[in-house]
Amino acid sequence: MADPYKPRAPFAPWDRRDLPGLFDVEETARRVGNYKWAEMKLFEALGGWVATVPELDVKMRLGTHCYKHAWHAELWHKRLPELREMNPDRLTVPANDAFVAFVEGVTEPEAPGLTIEKLVGVYRVFLPHLVGAYTFHLNATSEITDAPTIRSLKFILQDDMEDWREGEMLIQSLIETPEEVDRAAAHQARLEKLIVAAGGVAGPGSIGRQPASV
Amino acid sequence: MRTFLPVEDLARDDRFVRYTMRERMADKRASARIDAKERSKTSNRITPDRRDGADAARGLMHGILVGEIQALEGAGRTCHDFRVTGIAERGPLATQPIADAAPAAEVPFALKLDMARQAWDEARHVEISVKLAEWMGSDIGSVAENTVLFEAACSTDPVLRLAGVNRALEGLAIDVFTTMKEFGELAQDPYLAFCEDWMLADEVTHVKMGSDWLRSLTANDPARRERALEFQRVVDKMFSFGGTRSDSMDSPIGLARRFRELAGFTDDEVADIAEVSLQALNERKQSIRAARQSSAHSTAGIEPAGFEPAGIEPAETA
Ligand SMILES: [Fe+2]
Ligand SMILES: [Fe+2]
Repeated sequence: MADPYKPRAPFAPWDRRDLPGLFDVEETARRVGNYKWAEMKLFEALGGWVATVPELDVKMRLGTHCYKHAWHAELWHKRLPELREMNPDRLTVPANDAFVAFVEGVTEPEAPGLTIEKLVGVYRVFLPHLVGAYTFHLNATSEITDAPTIRSLKFILQDDMEDWREGEMLIQSLIETPEEVDRAAAHQARLEKLIVAAGGVAGPGSIGRQPASV
Repeated sequence: MRTFLPVEDLARDDRFVRYTMRERMADKRASARIDAKERSKTSNRITPDRRDGADAARGLMHGILVGEIQALEGAGRTCHDFRVTGIAERGPLATQPIADAAPAAEVPFALKLDMARQAWDEARHVEISVKLAEWMGSDIGSVAENTVLFEAACSTDPVLRLAGVNRALEGLAIDVFTTMKEFGELAQDPYLAFCEDWMLADEVTHVKMGSDWLRSLTANDPARRERALEFQRVVDKMFSFGGTRSDSMDSPIGLARRFRELAGFTDDEVADIAEVSLQALNERKQSIRAARQSSAHSTAGIEPAGFEPAGIEPAETA
């Protein structure tokens, strides 16, 4: 065995984590507060829709995904006090009014015949944008100072990628006619415009900003 | 999407047939369809040696399936219908009038997390129940669905919802699953016993959630606690109607005392439920005797059948 008292490099050669990150504590807390608000709206909507969809398989999946987003909201809720925000409710807010309008658009469909619209809003617009914002955060934050956020992001992204696929496959299985293709596309476009106006889940810069000139 | 979805708007595919509690109560067949000689003389508990045991278990299984669907829906609605304490509401909930229970229409964040967890559990229970129903030889929709569980989940006071659903109906689920687990063991059906064992564990958790939230949310509001407990008693009594569930072997479903203790019921509370259900059973016996006496007068020469209580009314449980 190697001499245990021989000095070793603190970072192993394969550990390439770096110190700098794009977000300070305040900006991280702001983003995390937006994520928590978004996850809450998502799990509340999925829970509410369970009783409104006649399709038994969709009903069960909405119940399952409802819990996952509640758990994500809980992870963010617990992260906020660690980011010097001792009153997590204060930062549990939407990124801006345009994002509120987007969530209203997503959660508007209620009638039993609107399962396609419900699923399109979540799995073709909301969730992809959430995945985008989380991926940017994961790639942009300090790999050392913000390790707890990274850990949560990885758990959440694993859930979201699985759910995204599952939701997309449900949509594909429900769309059977050209008219339904149009319905799905029209609803997606309407919501996409709303979230573009909001700048994403965490507002402008949710997935970073393009430099002024390349 | 609205808050507080009325029970009539529950969405189902075409296989399902629905009937109301009022229709169930008014159904005369429940007290007249039984011939005791067809069944065991010593016990009405659902067991494999009852001649109608397989049918009874299948009927009960379908009741469990639709109960699980409604429990999933109810837990989901509780995630949606109420504001979260401390969070400034933006969007539809900010402007929507909250029925008639404004002060009660807020819940702690942690309560919603519990309800979301329950939604996942109930979704698994639907999956399990669909597979079990198929295993036992019944089809989805082969028995009518009573939506009383979701009705209890429509209260605008979240504490009443938890008392009615988590404590009364999920408490009944504990009794039902215990009976079904025993049925599976007696029938040497490891598939059934295995599934009921797992669902039972979840239900004990759900009942405990109800007990814990009831106590903490009403710690400083004895009047609200009393209203919630009264609501629970009404729901308990409704499901003890006909003596379907009691300690007596005359009831198809037993009272699972040990699991109820684990779920946060006090000894007094268990004793209360035992008394209410026994009372319901005795009332049922009484009314059947009376009905038989009067029919014996009008049908001289036909031998009156022995006592049989509610039989195999499928109980919607969660
Ligand atoms: Fe349950
Ligand atoms: Fe259940």
